[in-house]
Amino acid sequence: MRQVFNIAYYETLHIMKDKVLTLLIIFVPLFYAFLCGAVYVSGVLTGIPLGVVDLDHSRLSREVVFAFENSPRFKIITEVDTYPLLEEGMKTGAIRAGVLIPEDFEKKAARNSGAEVLTVYDGSNLLWGYNIRKYTMEVVNQFHSNHAAAYMAGMGLNRHEIYDILDTVSLNVDVWYNPTFNYATFMLLGIMMMVIHQICLLAVGITVTREKERNCWIQYLASAAAPWKIFLGKSLPYFTTNCLNYGLLIWFNYCFIHVKTGGSLFLIILLGLLYAIIITGTGFFISLHAPNSLLVTRYLMLLSVPFFIISGYTWPQTHIPDLVNILARALPFTWMAEGFRLVALKNLNLPYLVPNMLALSVMAILSLFLALTFTKQRKPPADTGVFDLKNDC
Amino acid sequence: MAIMGREFTYMWRDRELRNILLVGPLLGLLLFYATYSVQALTDIPTAVADLDRSTASRELTDYIGSAENLNIVACPNSFEEVEELIKKGKIVVGVVIPENYGKNVSLRRQARVEMIVDGSNMIYATNATGAVLSVTRSVGAKAGVQSLIAKGVHPDQAIGAYQSISFREEPWFNPTLNYAYFVVLALALNFWQQCCTIAACMNIIGETGVGSWRQLKAAGVSKLRLFFCKSAIQICTFMLIVCPIYALSFTVFKLPVHCSFGELFLFNLAFVIALHSVGTLASSIAPNAVDATRFGMIVALPSFIVSGYTWPLEAMPGFVQQLAKIVPHTWFFQGINYLTFKNPGWHFMVHFYLAFFLIAVACYGAATIFTCRK
Repeated sequence: MRQVFNIAYYETLHIMKDKVLTLLIIFVPLFYAFLCGAVYVSGVLTGIPLGVVDLDHSRLSREVVFAFENSPRFKIITEVDTYPLLEEGMKTGAIRAGVLIPEDFEKKAARNSGAEVLTVYDGSNLLWGYNIRKYTMEVVNQFHSNHAAAYMAGMGLNRHEIYDILDTVSLNVDVWYNPTFNYATFMLLGIMMMVIHQICLLAVGITVTREKERNCWIQYLASAAAPWKIFLGKSLPYFTTNCLNYGLLIWFNYCFIHVKTGGSLFLIILLGLLYAIIITGTGFFISLHAPNSLLVTRYLMLLSVPFFIISGYTWPQTHIPDLVNILARALPFTWMAEGFRLVALKNLNLPYLVPNMLALSVMAILSLFLALTFTKQRKPPADTGVFDLKNDC
Repeated sequence: MAIMGREFTYMWRDRELRNILLVGPLLGLLLFYATYSVQALTDIPTAVADLDRSTASRELTDYIGSAENLNIVACPNSFEEVEELIKKGKIVVGVVIPENYGKNVSLRRQARVEMIVDGSNMIYATNATGAVLSVTRSVGAKAGVQSLIAKGVHPDQAIGAYQSISFREEPWFNPTLNYAYFVVLALALNFWQQCCTIAACMNIIGETGVGSWRQLKAAGVSKLRLFFCKSAIQICTFMLIVCPIYALSFTVFKLPVHCSFGELFLFNLAFVIALHSVGTLASSIAPNAVDATRFGMIVALPSFIVSGYTWPLEAMPGFVQQLAKIVPHTWFFQGINYLTFKNPGWHFMVHFYLAFFLIAVACYGAATIFTCRK
């Protein structure tokens, strides 16, 4: 083990000498956690700018406006009170939703002759779109209940009768796991897993290429240390920082952004360990076979967006084509993000995580096998007769 | 021209960079389009546990089944089974119709139906809740009308109590709430800008980081002319590689665009210059090419999240909004959204061009100061 610790010690010295790398593995994860946490800290869309065009100016139309005014979700922009202004406001983003009450609205309602309120919303950003649609339905449902109650009261029914009629069939909607529809809880768990994935892969991905560029890798190959010792020694600092970052980011999000993080601590630690093993092993394997650090950095930098998108973390897997799903299932992030959500958000125990644990375990074994069993044999010299030290080692 | 030709040859001979620039953005577009090819979140998996098995409960089940976006995939026999299906992620909406539901409805007693929505995936949850709220309104109104009629109220009056006012919803700019329209182009452009950042980060360090820099300096080549020509050819390359992305998006994938191609091209050019200036600044302060790439990507990677393209800028704290406005990506993704969906006109877009101009001047200016010392 002494050899392993010696190699780990020298690797740590290399990391400390490279200021940018030190910055990358120690401060950048926390910086990203802070930045993304600050982006999503409000969690829920409120104060949505709403334009109201009331062409009726009747008691009933004011009731409709009042219903939207009373909702904590909407903020009425009083300057927008005509249809052209509403159109312009929607185009420029000054408002994101609108309510149009036509002329003779009250008269038509009294005659039951198709009094219609038009609600419009901005579909160019579907986070606005989906949420406004939901909030509008909540307001409309409440308005309908109040209006029906008032109508029945006008028909001479007493309070008890009205309540009975309104509640003849009561449909109680119960939202589990994220009842406040908090986007921070939804997004940050996945984003943090991707930050850990990227930062560790970028750091460990250059552990061997750096040696190759400095013509030092040959010393490792020529040494008596077994390949597994070289891997363990060189990977240990990255594995350790990865585990620390994993804990740090979870703690930061939980304490400062109030991201819901429950579930079994044992499972969270187990998932983190498997994830760290996979990333460290894969990063080392990539580094073994990559010709230089620039190439590794360039390619690995580009992985985060496609990995995140195809994983099904946001757009559900049920609506992603099989071919893309198969590709996604070959990636550790897909299993980790889903597994972490099952534990931290849904508070589920081991039986529900068996597929995730199995997949991550297989990936961990595979990555360890690839990293541990590299050959110390050097490639034969190129046909040109010129020995290329960097590429031939 | 000689410097431009040299730069183009260098970029072409850098095999990894060539692959990234030529293949990366197109591959990204295809992958993102494939992921979102279903386009809208319909057929939300729903389970209905009908514990009553009466005519009324079957009617309710049929009604839920025919509701927009809900798709009944399971009919469990108990609440526990519904709970289990939600835990396993097999369903997103669970409905439990209690025993004696039909009896209670016919006797005009209160009947309570439980609807559960899995909130762990917000995209599913907001859509599912919208669909569920629509069902609750319709079912509640229908039951209420029947109750009023049973009390001897005239059917017209009973209907009037619930249906004298209707609310019609109309999503503007994206009437079918198509998710592919919303994100595919933006994600592809995000991937493209990351590829461009990698290339731009080589602008200065690609020269000053190699031994030939001393020769160039000794030869008396003007630094301004050298880096201006290099920048010009890189900017042209970035513009060339974005053309197939737009062509595929608008002609093959039929993504929406409401501005002219001239406007889009001009806007893109302004962004490319600003983006290139950021990459150039990173390459001027970094000690080597790897660090330059790291600096560039530290900015480029979270830029899409911070840009407000998905989670709105207005919902972010004030200091994040100000921070976001420093990077050109925010202006670009916001601008692309406006141009492709709304086209608010030149007078509105002027601010965006001004922002690109200021960012480019600041970054190129700083890069010039750093490069003069080399």
